[in-house]
Amino acid sequence: MADVDLSQSRGKQKHSKKKKRRIGVKNDMTPMVDVAFLLLTFFMLTTTMAKPQTMEINLPPGDANVEVAESNLLTLRVVPSDKDTISIYYNIGVDKPVKIEGSRAKSIHALGKLLQENNKANPKLITLLKMDKKAKYVDMVNIIDEFNLADVTRFSLAPMADVDKKILEKL
Amino acid sequence: MVDIGFLLLTFFMLTTQFKPEDAVEVQLPESHSVFKLPDADVITISIGKDGKTFLGFDSQIMRANIFGEQNRLRAGMEVQPDIDHLGQMLIRARTMNPKLRTVIKSDKDTEYDVVERVMSLLQKVNITRFNLVTNQAK
Repeated sequence: MADVDLSQSRGKQKHSKKKKRRIGVKNDMTPMVDVAFLLLTFFMLTTTMAKPQTMEINLPPGDANVEVAESNLLTLRVVPSDKDTISIYYNIGVDKPVKIEGSRAKSIHALGKLLQENNKANPKLITLLKMDKKAKYVDMVNIIDEFNLADVTRFSLAPMADVDKKILEKL
Repeated sequence: MVDIGFLLLTFFMLTTQFKPEDAVEVQLPESHSVFKLPDADVITISIGKDGKTFLGFDSQIMRANIFGEQNRLRAGMEVQPDIDHLGQMLIRARTMNPKLRTVIKSDKDTEYDVVERVMSLLQKVNITRFNLVTNQAK
């Protein structure tokens, strides 16, 4: 690893008995550099650069009862119809629910447009999201994401009750 | 080249943050949200694909206090998503450290039923503000 070069100092041995002998020292850095690169690759591979995003949700406290005029209430009912398709039924107040159906991406995109239009028409609108128990978590995240994109800040989550199921069955 | 190698090495050594271990492997959904996950004071409720629920804390002190000293190093403990079990743990944790923020980290294919139960539980123990962990959508 480190060798000592003695060839230069041989001729001067007579004079330098008291003086400290100067000798050339060569250092082999290869092993240290190897270790350094090993550590470098280790840190490069284990480091996580991107932090996950979070979505904030504010729910009203459990005992709070907020009175909302029916005409200001947009109800969304989400039912998974197939493996990759979901049906979204929406209605304002006590109107008959209207169905949006299609693939996940398509129906959620359509929902976004609808939310924007309705909120422009009525800024007081409150959105109520009712999801079927069999729906996937990703559907909820996508819909809430769509709320955020459409600037719908006033929304609430509610369980899908039997009454809702009956309403949907009648359609 | 060796100089640059060492420069990069120091850079990575100083900036690295080890990925926190997960109680359960989850595939996160994507969103356009811009909030970042906070670094400290987090209660993580992880929900796996099969609906199993885990509670986790980022600090070892909280883990030792809530789960017991022998579980200090465990990332998360399986909990029952009901008021007597998870609810009590959340209340205890929050009385110890009121700054704690609650995040839900759920797999995207988890049934909504479980997530709904956890969310209504949070509402019951008066955690009305919580975050859902997602990945950045492209």
